Amino acid sequence: MNGAPADYRSGPIVWACVIACTCVVLFVFQKILWLVVPFVLALIIYYLLLPLKLKLLMGGVSHDSAAGLVAGGAFLALAASFVLVLPGMAAHAMTWQESSLRYLDGGLSLVTATLRQLESRLAILAQAQVSEQFSRLVAEHSDKFAQRYLGDFALGLAAWAPSILLAPFLAFFMLRDGWRFKRFLGRAVPNAFFERTLYLLDQVDRTARLYFIGLIQLTLLDAVCLAIGLWIIGITGALFLGLATAILAWIPYIGSILGCLLVVLVAATDFPGQPEIAYGTVGLFILVRLLDDFVFMPLTVGKSLNMHPLLTVLMIFVGGAVAGVPGLMLVLPVLGVAMVLGETVGLVLTDPRLRARHVFAKQLRRELVTRDLRA
Amino acid sequence: MFGFLRPGDSAALHRLGKSALFAGLTLNELKIVEGFTHDRHFLPGEVVFDEGEVGQALYVIVSGSVLICRQGQADRPIARLLGGNFFGELALLDDSPRSAQARALERTEIAVLFRGDFERLLQSHAHIASQIAMALARHLGRRLRQMVASDGAEA
Repeated sequence: MNGAPADYRSGPIVWACVIACTCVVLFVFQKILWLVVPFVLALIIYYLLLPLKLKLLMGGVSHDSAAGLVAGGAFLALAASFVLVLPGMAAHAMTWQESSLRYLDGGLSLVTATLRQLESRLAILAQAQVSEQFSRLVAEHSDKFAQRYLGDFALGLAAWAPSILLAPFLAFFMLRDGWRFKRFLGRAVPNAFFERTLYLLDQVDRTARLYFIGLIQLTLLDAVCLAIGLWIIGITGALFLGLATAILAWIPYIGSILGCLLVVLVAATDFPGQPEIAYGTVGLFILVRLLDDFVFMPLTVGKSLNMHPLLTVLMIFVGGAVAGVPGLMLVLPVLGVAMVLGETVGLVLTDPRLRARHVFAKQLRRELVTRDLRA
Repeated sequence: MFGFLRPGDSAALHRLGKSALFAGLTLNELKIVEGFTHDRHFLPGEVVFDEGEVGQALYVIVSGSVLICRQGQADRPIARLLGGNFFGELALLDDSPRSAQARALERTEIAVLFRGDFERLLQSHAHIASQIAMALARHLGRRLRQMVASDGAEA
């Protein structure tokens, strides 16, 4: 009569709706990115702090007090770390600036040397004077770089700062009122569909939690693989570079290119006369990225969302096409939630008994409120 | 607006405390349990769940009454449960189908404890969950003894 939720399998219509909804949501998210970014950050903070809140609850502290204590503690820890770290950062600002310029010079020298080598082997490139044109182009841009881009960058940062500051605020209210909001949503569901829908809410929560756990596992796997590879090649600060590039990889594809650029700059500067080392790091990077996109990501994030690896890869491309870089980052969690919602709505709507019970309950309610009108 | 953010009704909390399932809990512990339950209101004659349906939750009657019967045999009830009683408890243990239909006899308020929430309660408040599990085990033992006694009487 009423099949088990486990017996239900979504059909092509439900799947088409899930993919279409994912695309629509990504498109809308791209338009309200100022709200989506702090919301996602707030979710990450929420899932990081939730275990602490649960520990306090276990100790007999109320929901509100536990949320306040955990959020307050996290804020104090953040403020204290800023107080401790900022003076050091300010003192080393000049050194960092010099190091950044040195690494940039190293990278540019590598490109120029590579182009010169190519010119010596290919007559067409030599005739076009590619290396000289490249050097001229770099000189022009480096002269006007600060004038052209620094103002826009500072303005962009100032525009984003208030919205980023929303993240801790949202995270606090998620910690304090998240459970109440879940119950509030539950109340809006008719009795006939309630038990199945509770299962849905639980699954959505589980999906989001598993996604963030999967993302952390993926970052660790990437960081370890890259760090080992860079250490074998002989690059300094292999662990830091591995971790930085793994975090950059949270933005699929584009993050990987930025990470690769970072590692190549370091390799080119540390080994100025040995371009083969820089080429080796590019090879290593491509290998780790392939492992990440086709093995690690489907096994961690894709597995946590219970998605087929092929669908994971295809949807990353779809997300990028629909909403650019934000689409690349958000497509998998959005798809995970849409899948659970789609499957449960399909499950509820295709059960004639549940629909009949809902119609019957509505009739009962109508009879109850119209009984005295008939008399 | 945002009324759902206000604290719950204390009278409902006291009514919830009258259930045999939560009898051993203090008021503070009861408040924690309430955070894991969902309130539902049923009209007279409304089906709570059907026989054969996969269960995901346990139901505690806060007020009103519920008829337990075989599907389509409401005239031959198995039991009539009043406020404080609970039913559908096996759903907390496994995915087995409901063994009977439950239907509200009058306007009934029910607190629903979902299996996933009970598992979270076990993780975050093991002491409270163990007390609920003990009450559940006592209830199941009593029912088993009644069944054995009735089988013996029939033989």
